[in-house]
Amino acid sequence: MSSFHPIVVELHGVHKTYRLGEHVVRALQGVDLSVQRGELLALTGPSGSGKSTILNLCGLIDTPDSGDIVLGGTTVKGLSEGQRTLLRRDAMGFVFQSFNLVPVMTVAENVDYPLFIAGVGAAERRQRVAAQLEAVGLLDHAQHRPDALSGGQRQRVAIARALVKRPRLVIADEPTASLDSHTADQVLELMRERGHAEGAAFVIATHDSRLTSRCDRIVALLDGRLQ
Amino acid sequence: MNHTPPRSPSASGSLPPKGARFALGRPVGETAKWLKFAWQNTLRNRRRSLVTVSIAALGTAAILVAGGFALSTYKGLSEMASRSTGHLIVARPAQFDKDEDTPLQHGLDDVSGLRAALLADPDVRQVLPRVEFSGLISNGDKSTVMMATGIDPDSEFAVKGPFLRITEGEVLASGSKDAEVMLGEGLARSLKAKPGSSLTLLASTAEGALNAMDVQVKGVFSTGVPDMDRRFVYTDIATAQKLLGTRRVSSLGVFLARMDMTGSAQQRVAAANPTLKVQTWLDQAFFYKSVKDLYNRIFGALGLIIGLIVVFVVTNAMAMAIIERTREVGTLRALGTLPSQLLRTLGLEGMVLGGVGALAGALLALSVTLFLLLVPVEMPPPPGQTKGYPLIITFDAVMYLVTMLSMVTLTVLASTWVARKTVHMPVVDALAHT
Repeated sequence: MSSFHPIVVELHGVHKTYRLGEHVVRALQGVDLSVQRGELLALTGPSGSGKSTILNLCGLIDTPDSGDIVLGGTTVKGLSEGQRTLLRRDAMGFVFQSFNLVPVMTVAENVDYPLFIAGVGAAERRQRVAAQLEAVGLLDHAQHRPDALSGGQRQRVAIARALVKRPRLVIADEPTASLDSHTADQVLELMRERGHAEGAAFVIATHDSRLTSRCDRIVALLDGRLQ
Repeated sequence: MNHTPPRSPSASGSLPPKGARFALGRPVGETAKWLKFAWQNTLRNRRRSLVTVSIAALGTAAILVAGGFALSTYKGLSEMASRSTGHLIVARPAQFDKDEDTPLQHGLDDVSGLRAALLADPDVRQVLPRVEFSGLISNGDKSTVMMATGIDPDSEFAVKGPFLRITEGEVLASGSKDAEVMLGEGLARSLKAKPGSSLTLLASTAEGALNAMDVQVKGVFSTGVPDMDRRFVYTDIATAQKLLGTRRVSSLGVFLARMDMTGSAQQRVAAANPTLKVQTWLDQAFFYKSVKDLYNRIFGALGLIIGLIVVFVVTNAMAMAIIERTREVGTLRALGTLPSQLLRTLGLEGMVLGGVGALAGALLALSVTLFLLLVPVEMPPPPGQTKGYPLIITFDAVMYLVTMLSMVTLTVLASTWVARKTVHMPVVDALAHT
């Protein structure tokens, strides 16, 4: 994935079906989509419209039945699972609806984890983790466990974890769904501010109209097709 | 497909080749961090971890205590066997391989030179001649079969220590003017003999004639084995040779300074005496070998059962822990953790559980060992014997190390085995797990 390519991720004619018992669900039907550098893209649509499937495909945690996914100008078709994992490790951040922090790790350890598995040196990790926690206003909570934090604080930790590796692309699945409106506003602002500061593109699946109003572009989905 | 170094968190900043694996050689700091993560994970469900550790500890302790008991038994039996025969037994080959037509047919002539040569070896502590024969022993009214051994009394008792329990009278002494014997207590009771009683020994001479000799009872002993005590007679070599009409001895028992010298001493003695045959105590220790074989089977089966129990318990505990954390595994995989890294940390969890359990079990076994030294416990007599023996658990560092390493290996293998499916699960499925 080239850092200078203006398009971070592209989907070309992507189809994806799932089998649920006897039923075949057409999750995506020929989707074409591209996300620019630094762009905040909101994916909207009802449940089952294909938002999460697009996130999974962009995040390389799922593969399309047909079509192509291009990251930074290079197709990911034919990459092994190990190569996809290392691409996620080095170039992508994830923000989940229910935060998905590791409960036995402190806030600092959670944020440090992506850098640790990438083999970044201890001194640089310490500096980057501290900077990221300061940016999300949680430096004083560095040694706390996630269960000692509020929902909003936990999501800020998750955003710090996603951004600490300076990714090209951040995948966010309903990042404000578990938060009250005031906290959701804070988290949205943080994502926008930190995203622009780090130059990362965000692909965000959401039902939240407050969030979509702050995004650069909104893409609506229905029955696996772009509207 | 290139990664620009300033933005990439990895050192290389480029896509790894297809089929790439996470580097195996990790800095100490990283290993410590994975170990810390594993330790933290074991503390998630403390009760379950405590049960797992307890099972591993009890399994380890059971193996070490049982193994220590077996080792002390082997040691006791091997010492008894080597003390009975000598560490080496030197005789003519036919003495070991063929039956005698007449007493001492295959015996050694003029052993004083051979004995002196053997004693010149720095590892040899003593060389004891033996005359083994059978015959009848009579009190005038009653005659019964005896198994007799002619010994050099002073040397025999000096080397072997109190190997017999004297129940009446005294032990034999070398150079006594009278022909004297010591009787097993069953034989003494059968012949109504006491110290000072006169008895008659009857045996075939080396030429095949029948000879008789009056002897006096010097003492009565017990070997602890009633069947032996009903037949056994000790006399001095001179009396035995006079009865049998020969100057020969059956064999020479060679006593070494230490048991572990046996192998090398056997080679030296055999090389120096090519016409003779040299057996070790082990060659004649049939009781020792059968007991060891039996114990090895019993304790081997016990160890196998304990190992299986530990594997089942650890497998079950880790399976529950991993199923509970399937969603977390999905998260860590999404963040870029390789399955091999997750397998390693889950294996480390097994190592922590097994290691703590093995250490606790070793300390427990050591406590039992020390307790039995401070507070001796007497075991009941084994079948066919009349005397009990102290319960001793031997501490053997190698056994401790091997058992603890085996326990840790088992728990690591069990952990990684149950984890392998979850860490290779599609990330989407793992994240959707509830």
